[in-house]
Amino acid sequence: MNANYSKEKLTLVNELIYQIKVKEAMSKKVIFFKENATFREIQLKLKEKKISGVPILDKERNIIGIVSIDDVITAFDKGYVDSKITDYMSRDVITIPQNFSVVSAINRLEKFKVGRLPVTESLNSKKIVGIITLSDILNRLLVVVQSIAEKVEDKEIKNTQISHDLIKRVERKPLRFEVKGDDFDSAGRVASITKKYFQNLGISKDIIRRIAIVCYEAEMNICLHSLGGSMIIEVNRNNAVIYAHDKGPGIPDVKLALKPGFTTASEKIRALGFGAGMGLPNIKRYADKLEIKSSLKTGTELKAIINLGVKNEIK
Amino acid sequence: MKLSKIVNECQLEKIVFCTDCEIENGYCGDLMSDVMAHAEAECIWITIQAHKNSIAVALIKDIKSIVFTNNVTVEKEVIEKAEEEKINLLRTDKDSFTVCGEIYCLMEAETAKD
Repeated sequence: MNANYSKEKLTLVNELIYQIKVKEAMSKKVIFFKENATFREIQLKLKEKKISGVPILDKERNIIGIVSIDDVITAFDKGYVDSKITDYMSRDVITIPQNFSVVSAINRLEKFKVGRLPVTESLNSKKIVGIITLSDILNRLLVVVQSIAEKVEDKEIKNTQISHDLIKRVERKPLRFEVKGDDFDSAGRVASITKKYFQNLGISKDIIRRIAIVCYEAEMNICLHSLGGSMIIEVNRNNAVIYAHDKGPGIPDVKLALKPGFTTASEKIRALGFGAGMGLPNIKRYADKLEIKSSLKTGTELKAIINLGVKNEIK
Repeated sequence: MKLSKIVNECQLEKIVFCTDCEIENGYCGDLMSDVMAHAEAECIWITIQAHKNSIAVALIKDIKSIVFTNNVTVEKEVIEKAEEEKINLLRTDKDSFTVCGEIYCLMEAETAKD
């Protein structure tokens, strides 16, 4: 973690180490000793708490020195381990004020090759309010990065949710299309426009695919098999409702027409890749509800309903 | 796999080439309803149906690349529609079976490498 990287590229972490204050990252619980402690006492504490140094504070918690594990080793070596620390401890202590950014803490830790910095109340104060190490900074960084990641996730979830406001607005304005019989050139138009329309509502991709397939097949049925008709696509809070009406000639046997592969299409239509007897079966497969009324006198009325919220994957 | 790699390896003729998209799967079919029902989005679609409705189907299904086989004639208005909708159109004199086999092998080799 080198603060100098920021000169080349300002990454999220670089930005964060400028934003996070020492106060937020430091440990507030400071293990410290008074001036009258011995090196041996300190050594036992360091071992017990698995730390590598302690600040020495006076009665007012002002810092007067620091004893590190190195100082303790030297004391053992030189034979003054049972003496009071007063005469031996380093009094030149590198500290950091609590309102500084952690980037300054990182710089000081690196520059002075120390493992911890006692944190002072303010720049001109010697009163100790905490202690900070690289691992404190790392921990805080992880917490902040995690909370940023959670916010991003929340936003993504919101983005994939249906825009209820938009749906309310379009509820009373259904899409209406005229569909001509035998007009292959504009075939697919209803499905394309409807698809774009639903994309703007923030509905999930799978649901849109299903709506598009149902629209396409209904549109092609009017185009291929009827004298022409119309389609209405309605949106309400929970559903998309697709109505397709045609002027005739009507389906003699609806049950048979729903059978995959059944077709009455001409050779010409079939050569174009239509009339495979899969239109109505496709609609039935992808709609959540399908109603067909057909009369040889008045033509065919189809109503297909697709639930907008239900996560129903296309197989 | 990049579309350009498929185009080069299978020696496909570029009729419309607007984006060198990433191809991960394919579908072969000449029946519109079948393609509507089964093709996956972003796939490469191999077909002999070179008319305006193929573009409509591709658009609705988010298919970005179509390969026309058997050297079928592609009308000017189909090309214009594809350019407008940013759909890649490719053509070959090979039949659908052969092209599917070639593309399939390329994709298998690619997956094996990963």
